Amino acid sequence: MGVAIEARNLWKTYHTKKRKGLFRSETETVEALRGISFTIRHGEVVGLLGPNGAGKTTTVKILATLLLPDKGEAYIEGYDVVKEAMEVRKRIGLLLTVEKGFYGKLTGRENLEYFGALYGLGGERLRERINYLMRLLELDKLGATDKLFEEYSLGMKARLGLARALLKDPPVLLLDEPTLGLDPPSARKIRRLVRDLARQGKAILYTTHNMFEAEIVCDRILLINKGVIVVEGSPQELKARLPKLRSIDILLRNGSPEAVKKAIVEAGFQPTVETTPEGLVQVRVSVRSPEDVLGDLVRVLVGRGYDIVSLRISEPTLEDVFIYFSQSGG
Amino acid sequence: MGFRDIIAAEFRFTYADVFRRKITLVTFIAYPYILTILVLLIGYSLGSPTVFRERVGIDPMVFFILAGFTIMAIIGVGDDLLWRPLFDEWMGTLPYVMASPVPRIQHYIAIPLPRLILVLISGSTSIVPVLTYYYGLQGLVEGLLVMLLTGIAALFFTTIAILIMGIVYSLGGENWRIINIIRPLFLILVGAYYPRYLMPLTGQVISWLIPSSHVVEVIHRMISGLYSSPVDLLVLLGIATALFILYAPPGVKSIMYWEKTKMREGVRV
Repeated sequence: MGVAIEARNLWKTYHTKKRKGLFRSETETVEALRGISFTIRHGEVVGLLGPNGAGKTTTVKILATLLLPDKGEAYIEGYDVVKEAMEVRKRIGLLLTVEKGFYGKLTGRENLEYFGALYGLGGERLRERINYLMRLLELDKLGATDKLFEEYSLGMKARLGLARALLKDPPVLLLDEPTLGLDPPSARKIRRLVRDLARQGKAILYTTHNMFEAEIVCDRILLINKGVIVVEGSPQELKARLPKLRSIDILLRNGSPEAVKKAIVEAGFQPTVETTPEGLVQVRVSVRSPEDVLGDLVRVLVGRGYDIVSLRISEPTLEDVFIYFSQSGG
Repeated sequence: MGFRDIIAAEFRFTYADVFRRKITLVTFIAYPYILTILVLLIGYSLGSPTVFRERVGIDPMVFFILAGFTIMAIIGVGDDLLWRPLFDEWMGTLPYVMASPVPRIQHYIAIPLPRLILVLISGSTSIVPVLTYYYGLQGLVEGLLVMLLTGIAALFFTTIAILIMGIVYSLGGENWRIINIIRPLFLILVGAYYPRYLMPLTGQVISWLIPSSHVVEVIHRMISGLYSSPVDLLVLLGIATALFILYAPPGVKSIMYWEKTKMREGVRV
């Protein structure tokens, strides 16, 4: 599969004027992107994951020809997003925020007809495409087809937004937090659809805050923080790159947290020990390879007369990855 | 991509808005009458209709119905164009319009057409019956001619409105508020309420630069019979056409410049 989206060393700084008194103003500068580069192939869903203000939406806007980068280049199917914006616009489907972006006094169908005309579709072809998308996104089942947009629920709005993004059946989709604030069935529907679209060969850039979602939807994740991609890889690869985030969690029935901690530290481990609301002692030891040290740890605790209630080995979540790399800066 | 499809889309957009907000439709029909009643109430308390007839050459009732209708068509075109970017920004639709491959000039020419057609049709409830009542069969013909000329006057307003739209929005930030100052000036300078030949010299010069004002003058001269031959009216229409064409290239450039400005600062989502 060929490269569909390519970003090369993108930089963007925002300058905003802040008024200070009647005549004075100060310019505030925010570096939104600091040289990010990545590629996305056809058939691939790539998640852009990062905290607020990390540069996710800025990246999407540049690729959607809605924002000019200060430096660097970006291409959609080989077309330059700055110099060949019209060609790029023919090839992208865009979803920015789910709660806005349609005309309230038009029905869902009328809105799609309106944007279809702007996208160069018309006549029977457009009508058939709208009917197909209404069925695909189950907007017909929800009775949303001929309902005014202003009467839509958030879930319906998100589905309609995705329908618009798919209207011209584009090879590239730019989806900015498409499930934000949605009810679980709608979110699940959209996630499944995104996976299906990737199987059909579409290249999809998917921004999200939701770690669980990124893990199940994305083939690859770009972790972005303060305008820089701090780490990149499949969800499994990223988790494997954490040095010590697999952990052994043990619950003890007896003993004081201080005494338990002292015993474990003496055995050469660095635990966190807490008391649960039920009065049990919870021990967590983070290590690279829990299987290698589990026996030693259990022996220490049993030898000191502690009564083990439960024991489990936890894998790191993508959230752990996110926090680790965001804080360490890569 | 067909211009026809873009126009059809704009018709759908406008008619849904107008027919689903009944008050808008009622306003279309009632506006010339409401305005005439208001103006005449004030006017009759200050002067006599005879003096008005002597100075302007038309019965004040006919004049203000005419003015209300013409202004509604011309300023309607201006409003549709001048407020649309702001409306799209509020609705959150601007990014999707900008990220569409639609030819911009075609889109902006299509935007005011549906409302204009609706306003022109509403002429059959205002200007046509009033002129027919006053001047009989000739009035009916003149009424239909006024509808046609008003359509031309309004269409001739598109390029200058696009030019102003591009300039105002290129200034960025809250500068769109300038439209609130420009709009009432156009209301006067177009010459529908206040015939150009009664304006002070500066007003006349600025008014002369507005393509629609020449068509409005044609309407006034035609109704009041203030022309020696039809050539006088054709000359005015020629000037209007030339100005309309003259504003088109800078109008297109101003839209492109606005779009570039918007892309530099980032389209608000």
